[in-house]
Amino acid sequence: MNYVEWLRVRNWLKITAIVLGVFLVLAIVLRISVSRYMSPDAWVHESMMHPGVKVTHTTLPDGTQRTILDDPAESTRAIIDDRGYAGKHIVITEPSSRAQHESSHINVGSIQVFESHQGKMTTTVVDTNGAVPMLYYMAIADIVAILVATILAAPLAREVDGHLEIALTKPIPRARFALGAMGADVVGIIAASCLTVVAFYICQLLFESARLDFSGINSRAIAMGIACPLAWYAMLCALTTWFNRSYIAVLVSAIPGVIIVGILTIIHPNNVVALFVHDVAWGISRLIPFSYVSFAEPTSHGTINYEASAASSFGFRMAIQVMFFVVYSALAIWKWQRVEA
Amino acid sequence: MNTITISNLRKVYGSVAAVDGFSLEIQASSVFGLLGPNGAGKTTAFKCMLGLARPTSGEILYDGRPLQPATFERISYVPERSVLYEWMTVNEHVEMNRRAFSSFDAGRARELLAQFNIDTHKRARVLSKGMKTAVMVALAFARNTEVLILDEPTAGLDPVNQRHVLSLMINEAAKGNSVIFSSHQIGQVERAAEHIAVMDRGRLVLEGLVDDLKADRKIVEGIFPNVTYTLDGIANDVRVARADRTERIVRLVVTEGADEIAARLSRAGAAGVRVLDLNLEDIFLYAVSPATATADVVAKESSS
Repeated sequence: MNYVEWLRVRNWLKITAIVLGVFLVLAIVLRISVSRYMSPDAWVHESMMHPGVKVTHTTLPDGTQRTILDDPAESTRAIIDDRGYAGKHIVITEPSSRAQHESSHINVGSIQVFESHQGKMTTTVVDTNGAVPMLYYMAIADIVAILVATILAAPLAREVDGHLEIALTKPIPRARFALGAMGADVVGIIAASCLTVVAFYICQLLFESARLDFSGINSRAIAMGIACPLAWYAMLCALTTWFNRSYIAVLVSAIPGVIIVGILTIIHPNNVVALFVHDVAWGISRLIPFSYVSFAEPTSHGTINYEASAASSFGFRMAIQVMFFVVYSALAIWKWQRVEA
Repeated sequence: MNTITISNLRKVYGSVAAVDGFSLEIQASSVFGLLGPNGAGKTTAFKCMLGLARPTSGEILYDGRPLQPATFERISYVPERSVLYEWMTVNEHVEMNRRAFSSFDAGRARELLAQFNIDTHKRARVLSKGMKTAVMVALAFARNTEVLILDEPTAGLDPVNQRHVLSLMINEAAKGNSVIFSSHQIGQVERAAEHIAVMDRGRLVLEGLVDDLKADRKIVEGIFPNVTYTLDGIANDVRVARADRTERIVRLVVTEGADEIAARLSRAGAAGVRVLDLNLEDIFLYAVSPATATADVVAKESSS
């Protein structure tokens, strides 16, 4: 019954797939161009040029290719374990070059760098195949899903715009038609999100055997990453159905509008006008699903406890997203029931 | 579906009554023509019949029952303007109908589209107005419904395809189905419809079988030698439904005794007096508002 909406969804998924395909091609090009840097051989070879450097190659029982570089002149020792697609584990011990003695831990995607200081020596451990938090994937997938949701979010207004004679003369109740159309879009939005995750996972696979982290904050990111675009879609769907004559303007101004509201909420209310603008923007922001996407909130001490605060309010924020989806969808259907040609 | 009953249908937009107290009963196995000038309320009446517009008051019954979603399995509708999805191909429109309606015959649709010379791989946006009408007509006729409601189904079509659409309508009626259509082309209505209704300003002003309406009345026409003539009370005769005069020409619509009225007109000084049969155009023009029907028609009251 909602063949037209399925066609729309199919068309936009095709476009999404093409865009993601371009990213994939770029990733392949990048992979080819950096392939020589992905092996420690070049660095090892360069180090061997230094006088006095001793290089040892061994193969461990599990197949790991171990390379040990010893540079007595520089007091530097590096152990490189190459596990092929399982990544590399590199331990570098060298004299400290700075005064600070604090340890540091940096994560960039799947690369983890841990630096520690003992006396005058610094040990740096590099792991190139750390688990990648799903949070990263979902952040990218959400951008795509929100864009697709924004584009699709006028299934009923598009029918009002010149096709009511088709839509309303089908042998199904209006509510069922609306639910079917919105259902098709929901599937499309989730599919766009999944496509993005898959595309970026393949990109990562080009470089290493990716391991995904679904624990803790990541599982919440997945749930919120699906719920928020759907709530956003439902909100726009309600707006476009109610303001069906200007649905294109609603869709075009939606994301800029949200950004403006977001900026206005952070205006410091130092005078009456600013206070008024801030309060109005804050009030509006409460109706926007994005306002409830947060994985960190300041504690009473002004510091941020990411895990604890996100976990404690996650249920509430998810409930809000679900409520938005249901209420906004109901508003759209209610209006659709009253539409006349 | 045997009958469609419309009772006291009224649809008001703001302060304007687009349809006002419209009542009609349409029987099965017939081609029913709905005539009316622009803005008469024909399209609004169709929309109300199909639930596309909510009547302000009144009732529409299909075989004695109100319109239900399931009723649309038995009704097909061609609106007056294109409602095709511009970005979809004709084939996709066929598929859409196949999925939506259980009785839709995709093969028949393709056959009809071929008869209209429509390339089914084309997107609707590249079709001309007439082609779009043809696509909508083909899709409607391929649904095998008991009732076809067609709002200006020949708009934009060339004469060959117009004739084809009229043939399709007559064939449907021959199969026992009802065809209700509106058109501004009275010749087409006269050719296809056996039953007509005329709407004007939202109201039903005339309704009946075309043959009966034609047989009921005659036109008596005469030419006077100059414009300063009198009708000697002929216009006030109860058998004269209306009298129109255009300078020296007088046309009288007579319900009975046409020959006697013609003789009286001759005695009053008119030359070339003749008795004519009414055609549907005359019936239509006389049914709608006299002052606006044509520029040179004068109401009976003003001529006497």
